[in-house]
Amino acid sequence: IDELRKLSWSGIPKRVRPIAWKLLSGYLPANVDRRESTLQRKRKEYFAFVEQYYDSRNDENHQDTYRQIHIDIPRMSPEVLRLQPKVTEIFERILFIWAIRHPASGYVQGINDLVTPFFVVFICEYIEEEEVENFDVSSLPEEVLQNIEADSYWCMSKLLDGIQDNYTFAQPGIQKKVKMLEELVSRIDEQVHRHLDQHEVKYLQFAFRWMNNLLMREVPLRCTIRLWDTYQSEPEGFSHFHLYVCAAFLVRWRKEILEEKDFQELLIFLQNLPTVHWGNEDISVLLAEAYKLKFAFADAPNHYKK
Amino acid sequence: MQKHNQKEHLYKLLVIGDLGVGKTSIIKRYVHQNFSPHYRATIGVDFALKVLNWDAETVVRLQLWDIAGQERFGNMTRVYYREAMGAFIVFDVTRPATFEAVTKWKEDLDSKLILPNGKPVPAVLLANKCDQGIDVLMNNGIKMDQFCKENGFVGWFETSAKENININEASRCLVKHIIASESDPVQSVEPDIIKPHLNSSKIVSCSACFKS
Repeated sequence: IDELRKLSWSGIPKRVRPIAWKLLSGYLPANVDRRESTLQRKRKEYFAFVEQYYDSRNDENHQDTYRQIHIDIPRMSPEVLRLQPKVTEIFERILFIWAIRHPASGYVQGINDLVTPFFVVFICEYIEEEEVENFDVSSLPEEVLQNIEADSYWCMSKLLDGIQDNYTFAQPGIQKKVKMLEELVSRIDEQVHRHLDQHEVKYLQFAFRWMNNLLMREVPLRCTIRLWDTYQSEPEGFSHFHLYVCAAFLVRWRKEILEEKDFQELLIFLQNLPTVHWGNEDISVLLAEAYKLKFAFADAPNHYKK
Repeated sequence: MQKHNQKEHLYKLLVIGDLGVGKTSIIKRYVHQNFSPHYRATIGVDFALKVLNWDAETVVRLQLWDIAGQERFGNMTRVYYREAMGAFIVFDVTRPATFEAVTKWKEDLDSKLILPNGKPVPAVLLANKCDQGIDVLMNNGIKMDQFCKENGFVGWFETSAKENININEASRCLVKHIIASESDPVQSVEPDIIKPHLNSSKIVSCSACFKS
């Protein structure tokens, strides 16, 4: 598994990504002999949850949660298959079950986005990635879809286990990380930091979403998937390494940031960064920068404290 | 070209209300003149800018802060509300629960934000998605003018981001009250009651899509 982590850090080939993600997330055991039985057990367990909880979605104490999820699903990443009723149903079940089983946070807007990469990667085991955009999901056998659903649920749960304080009341994890991002940027690029400060741009105004949605709103889905190859290979990838990626991401736009001379323009730019054409190359550069930052600062926290 | 004697105002406006009521759609319609049924759910806060030629001497720049519908459950709103001059509180006429939440949003706003003169910020209530033909307000017999008066709204409008109904009007109403409260900090402005275009005898709303 350590070998797999090392190899995956710089990107996983499409063909093996589904199995690699299941291993890296800790959903599947490294031991080959136990994999099939684990899969079967976990899939059964998930559908037992569905049976146990899903009917309660219209109960008084759960209907708010369900309604919020129901409203948010059609509003997810436009790139995906979100408008197919079959997909909507699957996402609603995954999110509702997760919310019910994690009452400390419940459903928080943004969590809905985090299912998508798993779902898309796992579905690509059965179709070509290029087809995803206009693929009719209901043409897949029911059993295949059920497996994808259960696997997506468990992998998403594993991810969220590592960043749960992002989504508990008042989202303390995010507050903390935005603060840390600010400190980090003030150390690595004082000019950018001062410029933002001068124009009264607060990090919370743009970086809240970077933390809450793990940059998914800022880059195309294909880039998120590549990013997650690394996050899942890196120890505390989603909870800690992400911070360095965010810092590298901000500084990546230093030229444009320094050119903008007022609060309005700065904030509009920072909330609509031009990444539409980004590909693996851009992500690789970003990750390399982030790695350098981590190397320079991670083990010496005082380096970036004022 | 800006004239020499032109005055420029910059106002920060909040757009708040439960999730999925159409806050983002209203702003996109207002600022970009378009509509999509599937804007992504707002996370944290989204920011937009609208410039109004208010009159021959005045340009008004509006900073619109589109605040995520789930925010009330955290404490983030306090940060976002800072220094706002006015607010739209939005609900969805097809979902009564979102109307019930209006008073909670108003309380949240007033408890965290007060104008320098000690008054609450002017707030306009928007009954959005009025194109949907399901009129919760009228079915429930809720007296909107009464409701606005009791809850301290300066006016209310039935709006549709989809059909572009009443959004400009609502904004002018809010800006008018902001300007008035600025120039005359002591005297309060009369609640905004505009008669419908038709010769309706009932004074119900400022709304053009009011169905009698």
